[in-house]
Amino acid sequence: MSFQAWFELIASGLITGGIYALIALGLNLQYGLMRVLNIAHGEFLMLGAFLTWAAQTAWGVSPLLMIPLSFGVLMAVGLLVHRLTFRRLTRTSPNLDVFEARGLMVSFGLMFLVQNFAQMLWGGELRGYDYLTAPVAVPGMAGAQFAANKLLLFALALLFSGALMLVLQRTLLGKGVRALMQSPTGARLVGIDTERLHPLMFGVGLGLSGVAGCLLSMSYTISPAMGEPYTVTALIVITLGGLGSMAGALAGGLALGVVEAIGMHFTNPSLKSLLSYGVFIAVLLWKPNGLFTRTR
Amino acid sequence: MKRDWLILIALTGWALALPHYGSDFAVSLALSCLMYAALASSWSLFCGATRYLSLATSAFFGIGAYTSALSLEHVPFAVAIALGAGVAALVALVMGAAVLHLRGTYFAVLTFGMTELIRHAISYWEKKVSGTVGRVLTVVPERDTVYLAVLALAVLALATAIVVRRSRFGLALAGIGADEQRAQTLGVDTRRVKTAGFALTAAFAGAVGAAMSVRWTYIDPVTVFNPFIGFQTVLIALIGGAATLWGPVVAALVFSLLAETLRLQLPQLYMMALGLLLILCVLYLPGGLASLRLPRRRGAAR
Repeated sequence: MSFQAWFELIASGLITGGIYALIALGLNLQYGLMRVLNIAHGEFLMLGAFLTWAAQTAWGVSPLLMIPLSFGVLMAVGLLVHRLTFRRLTRTSPNLDVFEARGLMVSFGLMFLVQNFAQMLWGGELRGYDYLTAPVAVPGMAGAQFAANKLLLFALALLFSGALMLVLQRTLLGKGVRALMQSPTGARLVGIDTERLHPLMFGVGLGLSGVAGCLLSMSYTISPAMGEPYTVTALIVITLGGLGSMAGALAGGLALGVVEAIGMHFTNPSLKSLLSYGVFIAVLLWKPNGLFTRTR
Repeated sequence: MKRDWLILIALTGWALALPHYGSDFAVSLALSCLMYAALASSWSLFCGATRYLSLATSAFFGIGAYTSALSLEHVPFAVAIALGAGVAALVALVMGAAVLHLRGTYFAVLTFGMTELIRHAISYWEKKVSGTVGRVLTVVPERDTVYLAVLALAVLALATAIVVRRSRFGLALAGIGADEQRAQTLGVDTRRVKTAGFALTAAFAGAVGAAMSVRWTYIDPVTVFNPFIGFQTVLIALIGGAATLWGPVVAALVFSLLAETLRLQLPQLYMMALGLLLILCVLYLPGGLASLRLPRRRGAAR
């Protein structure tokens, strides 16, 4: 294989990996902070994708404009969902283990609800639109070409992932969130308001999945059933990176994208899901706390 | 306990009589009800008692279905069911050895992942090696034979649950559910008890899969490994009350009625109702339907 072929292969892996990372970050934020393993995460991504598609085809709204819009809409949905379900769950569950199990069941319910709602509303077929499909040559790499929308997708996915991590690292809000992740009781003792941070971060997590869906709809076809594979991928990514670790999710996402691209190139595409489930189970059995976590 | 046996015998008698006077529709309704009663009560036998949330039911169901599809041309129906149960239990032993040391969300997610892995592996194998997508079952027993087989399995599952609840084994399972470390300290070999319980659940799911596969006459990995079978089992057990004996049976009845009336006309609405019910049930009835009746017995049930 030539150098250029390798470059294209790894770059296309990184592009998918960037999206994986963005999805996984949102899921990880919810799990790390609240112990809600949101199986319905991919369904909200699908909602973001369909919102973008509907606005694009009906009124010709630019997908770029839909990024903040779908973030806003899904964040509102997230706040509502949290208020209706998880707030009550937090109050009534006797301990964290029970809360985790119940939260998992609630998110399974959400998955059925949202996915079938979309299927009823939009039907089951594949949909899509054209946006920036012209190929762009990468400077310095003679002949290596990528569709413009994929490059944009990668850049924006990295931008939003970076922005989230920056917010968590640098701002007072982020400090509060990190404190809650490290020790819920300790954080509450120093006056961090769980009642406000939990819904907010749940909303941000869903908002990010909306953004990811919006980005995905620019270069891939969408359908009501598209969410589930992405949920599984995001689960794999956060197990790779360690549940609750943000940098791990970013690295895990990019790594999984590359592993998938290379694996698919050398075996065959129908092995893709077999490959990712294989990686997932192997990692969970071998290192249940994630590849990148140091043992304390 | 005596009352449980009496209820079981009465229900069995009623179910036995059904094919003689009921319409085809009533029998198929009863069949799906029995299937979910068997699946849900065998699921809660292990998962309800130990509170290990297994999502692997559809894996064992599918394995049973495939075993019976492959073996039915060579052996009688009853042997095929036993084979399905055996193979599923064997897979559960291997799977259990790998995952039963993990708890909570990890266990649930891993069992789900393994189910999907098995499904994709079998799809891939069928496509590449056998060169087929699904399998048509040519030798199929009569409707009443299938009904009786599933009825027998449901009764067996409930009888096992009644017996196990009062046995040392069942108490060990409940002890693990209450506090695993304490159970271990008190001398329960938790690893062996958990593996045995998991295999027992799997054997029932495999047997039900083997018996139901002949009902469909055509099977492919997407139908028999449908994760939805697993979800619905968990849902029925949870809504009925996973720690109770009769809760899952009542919930299975309600769900089969709901499924048969809604699913054909409005499949999406049915799924949405299912999701909503699950959420409402977890939020407002965490002990299941069974916790609604007679609060004085709650102390005894725990």
